[in-house]
Amino acid sequence: MTEKLAKAPAVGDVLPAIEIPITLQRLVMEAGANRDFSLMHHDSAVAQSAGASAAFANTFFLMGMFERLVRNWAGSCIRFKKIGPLKMLNFNVVGDTLLFRGKVVAIDEVERGEKWLLNLWCESGRGQTTTCMVEVIKE
Amino acid sequence: MSDVGWGLWGSWEETEACLNTVVGEWWGPDPVEPGSIRRWLEPKEFDCAIHTDVGAARAVGFPDLVAPASMVFSYGVAPYWLPGDSSKSIDDEPTQIQIPVIFNVPAPCNKSFATSMEVEFNEPLYPGDVVGCVSRLIDIQRKTLKVGPGAFLRQEDTYTKQSGEVIAVANLDIFRFYVEQGVTK
Repeated sequence: MTEKLAKAPAVGDVLPAIEIPITLQRLVMEAGANRDFSLMHHDSAVAQSAGASAAFANTFFLMGMFERLVRNWAGSCIRFKKIGPLKMLNFNVVGDTLLFRGKVVAIDEVERGEKWLLNLWCESGRGQTTTCMVEVIKE
Repeated sequence: MSDVGWGLWGSWEETEACLNTVVGEWWGPDPVEPGSIRRWLEPKEFDCAIHTDVGAARAVGFPDLVAPASMVFSYGVAPYWLPGDSSKSIDDEPTQIQIPVIFNVPAPCNKSFATSMEVEFNEPLYPGDVVGCVSRLIDIQRKTLKVGPGAFLRQEDTYTKQSGEVIAVANLDIFRFYVEQGVTK
């Protein structure tokens, strides 16, 4: 992973997309790692009783994937100031291949550098499932 | 298993009585350490050296390895079992993540899911840090969605280190609703 962006970002820049398939094994690994053992994130029958078609990815996974999207693009040189609002518009279920995307929507000078505002989202075969705003600080 | 319900049962009046009160408070059981960071990165295929290599973290100004920002939630999750707790039996309801607006706040609901979350970060997490969380119920909005009648409950979580520094403040929106057992909408 690069330590720094090759050039300073500009409003409108697009972040390189990340594709990741959602398998039950990945959800189980994720639950073990992030400690969210809510049943609907690893038990499809329970998830169906809550309106989803199968076990679905939890909030911590989505937030972590948006963090990865930003790190992959910006490298180590930024600090996260805010993640959210992260809005879940549809379930991200086992069998989906998710595409995480984003773009730069604002760059502002702040006391100790710049604040970059990023508009991120996640897509599946059913369209946009999750949206997320992120603020990072580049000192 | 599809008929399993969850959440503390009660009336909407009891829900309203919890508004603007502390509904949960605990410490995460495990300190930040490299093994749990690696296992968190693994299912996301997340490769960033500041989370795994002390030298890389120091090169960009951190004093040590730094945990991913959104790991604060995982380190702040209450333990599922501790020495001295009773053993689970086969007929017990499975234990789910401790979300106070679901499990500590009464409501006439038997299902729930998260709909929105936002978090502001103040302090990074380093190896050895332990995370505490205090949760307040700060909003209730009754609503009927396709899945059933219920309400959006907003929980404000303040995460602190053992030193008292505030790591992050998060707002989590949970939709709690009622579904007749055996009915999937």
